[in-house]
Amino acid sequence: MKEKNTPLCIFLITLLVCASLLSSGCTGTEGSEVTEENPGSNTLVLGEMWEIDSINAADGDGGTLICEKAAITETLVGAKPDFSLKPGLATSWEQLDENIWEFKLRNDVFFHDGSKMTAEEVKDSLENVIAENPRVDSMLKIASMEVVDDYTLRIETSELNPILPGVLHYPDTAVISPSSFNEAGEYVKPVGTGPYKFESFDEQTRVLTVVKNENWWGGEVGLDRMVLKGMPDPNTRAMAIENGELDFTVDVLYSETDRINKLEGINVEKYKTPRVYKIDVNLGNEPLEDVRVRQAMSCAIDRYEITEHILYKVGEPAAGPFLPSMVWANKDLQPYTRDLEKADELLTEAGWVDTDGDGIRDKDGKTLRLNLLTYSARPGLPPMAQAMAAQLKEAGIDVETEVLEMGAIYDRREKGNWDLYLAAYNIAMVPDPEYVLSNWYMTGGPDNGPGYSNPEVDSLIMDARKLTDLEERYQKFNEVEAIVYEEQPMIIVAYYGCAIVKKDYVKGYVFDPTAHDYRINADMYIEK
Amino acid sequence: MRYFLKRLGFMALTVFAACALTFFLMNVIPGGTAELILKHTFVGLEESATEEQLNQISSRYNLDDPLYLQFFRWVKAAIAGEGIGTSYVFRKPVLYLLALRLPATIQLAGASMAIAVLAGVSLGIYSALRENRISDHILRVATLFGVSMPCFWVALLLILVFSLKLKLVPVAGYGSLENLFLPAVALSLHSMAAVMRVTRTSMLETLGQEYIRFAKAKGLPLRKIISRHALKNAMLPVVTVIGFQMGNLLGGTIEIEKIFAWPGIGSLLVDSISARDLPVVQGCVLAIVSMFLFVNFLIDMLYTRLDPRIRYG
Repeated sequence: MKEKNTPLCIFLITLLVCASLLSSGCTGTEGSEVTEENPGSNTLVLGEMWEIDSINAADGDGGTLICEKAAITETLVGAKPDFSLKPGLATSWEQLDENIWEFKLRNDVFFHDGSKMTAEEVKDSLENVIAENPRVDSMLKIASMEVVDDYTLRIETSELNPILPGVLHYPDTAVISPSSFNEAGEYVKPVGTGPYKFESFDEQTRVLTVVKNENWWGGEVGLDRMVLKGMPDPNTRAMAIENGELDFTVDVLYSETDRINKLEGINVEKYKTPRVYKIDVNLGNEPLEDVRVRQAMSCAIDRYEITEHILYKVGEPAAGPFLPSMVWANKDLQPYTRDLEKADELLTEAGWVDTDGDGIRDKDGKTLRLNLLTYSARPGLPPMAQAMAAQLKEAGIDVETEVLEMGAIYDRREKGNWDLYLAAYNIAMVPDPEYVLSNWYMTGGPDNGPGYSNPEVDSLIMDARKLTDLEERYQKFNEVEAIVYEEQPMIIVAYYGCAIVKKDYVKGYVFDPTAHDYRINADMYIEK
Repeated sequence: MRYFLKRLGFMALTVFAACALTFFLMNVIPGGTAELILKHTFVGLEESATEEQLNQISSRYNLDDPLYLQFFRWVKAAIAGEGIGTSYVFRKPVLYLLALRLPATIQLAGASMAIAVLAGVSLGIYSALRENRISDHILRVATLFGVSMPCFWVALLLILVFSLKLKLVPVAGYGSLENLFLPAVALSLHSMAAVMRVTRTSMLETLGQEYIRFAKAKGLPLRKIISRHALKNAMLPVVTVIGFQMGNLLGGTIEIEKIFAWPGIGSLLVDSISARDLPVVQGCVLAIVSMFLFVNFLIDMLYTRLDPRIRYG
């Protein structure tokens, strides 16, 4: 009798024991207990759109999280809603000569460890991020820094760098205290100056908890505590807030925004963020080097249809690379409206006519057939690519869309084996127009995927670099915008949007358009 | 004993081969490793990288060395017990990351396996005993659903019903049995259906055997026939399928972990592949392959217990 069922039983029991042992062993991880069992009335639970991989203030994603979403650290320079700069931890700055800048710092700022922030700590903090982060290094172009007095820092750049104050708005450059590092000089946790203090980070569940900084130089802080959980799946975020597990989250599926907004106790707000959906056009390919073909394509795309039915109004039709609300934007430009007649005119003029009646235009025996690459990390992109392909087909251009993994796209682009590339690009990594315009449109610029080269554009940007008067600088950039609007080396389709989903009892939230995803402001509070 | 050692040797060889294959395949997929690491850690996917930044990353992680040298270095460190590399993205030792993430995956896969086996076997037996009756038909159609529904879809439906409508369990999270329920059920459905189908078929076959008819003629009660004579003989193919399902489950965790924000190695693996975080990919593959081999090893041992005629040696 005892022999009969033992093997199976043993197997099953082992499995069960494994499962239960592990589950009991893994519960009650530090830090999450307080919040889950006793949320407290003034605690905000936030569903973050990426998994929280890093709390390193100098990392790309970690920096954005720690500075903008967790509000632990702050940058020297701030930005107003129109993207013009305003004082942050620095009260003022001045360009003493071409390469030398002087920053005056606030004298009433304390780190979370209680120590005072002086120019010495700011210098150390910047040196750390320069060493850690190749990108910040290449944007700042700092040759040396000198502490003039406790609240004055002098920075010398290795070359003329008018965007320096703008770069110091970038979250990775936020100031951290030397106590963020252990004795061996390794980064441990972010100790900043912001409205919230780091409390704990559970490395297993990757939940970040921050608490109110009672002594914030900016005044009263709204929430007692904030719990940030990474939830990479947009459906999960939507259902979690519906089920009351979250108080605040972003970017549920765009098609779901209206349904969720109608639910009781939850509201959805749609904003524009500094990012555009745009198509890079490979100017090295024969049909696309003709400006008329590019203009025709821009006329064939129905931007309103796309923002209405693909983006569900989380985004708007775009004219140029900048948001109209940006202080330096060229406000005269209007988005290309759909005009198939004009597209037909332009294409016919360029010699592309449908001679064999198959609906696709051809010229000298070649059909107008293009591929359009995109990726799926941003949910709007693949359906947008499909819609545009259909719209372009109505103008007689055959477009085949290909949704690829990022690595495959880099590879194809490097080999020149592509025609069109749809992507969502940040337009205010640094709140200054030069960064985007020189990267995108200058000959050989690092983001100049199309291979666009226009001496007039190059010289306008070079001229602007030497101007210190903002009005004059912006004038030059407006001219650049007008030229590329005409020539369409990149077809700007729509402004990127962000859907903020929050419970009605979350009050005091103000959307910051200059943030890289979204920013948690100190005034937020909960009123149940 | 000799068999045991031989088996262990083969397992080690398989693990090595899997690691080598992963390493070289990871380097063959399109897209520069340094470029992807840089964009995932510092720059942002859509942004550009300068030559200078790329060189800095390449030299930081010795990416310019010939591949065989990189691999050799990795194997040497692993065998010497110095760990299996440091993550480019997390900047932590891979072993440390695995220690954090592996328990969650084992817990999820273990619970799913337990559900799949318990429910699959009992439903299979039930279905076999009720052959061609209405309940059998219903169960067979249900398994068809189980096999054909993608598990991420099932997961969303489960959340809809159990969290949003019935308010029984939370949508996502990790740490308690409540949290485990939905992902484990969603993940187990495929395997449960497979186990049930095989149990049913194999049970029917066994029930048609002469010794069962003899047992019936002898006047044994049905319960005893099933538990003493039929089940044990019918279990052999079922156990084989359970072994294979382990692979299925480990693969399924990748989707399920994303949906339920479950901190296991499935989601870690996917993120690491797109970031070309080679050491982590290697570590995850190593862990998954070892788990799969271990379970199948257990199952082979189980064979001899189930059917004493099988002897290894």
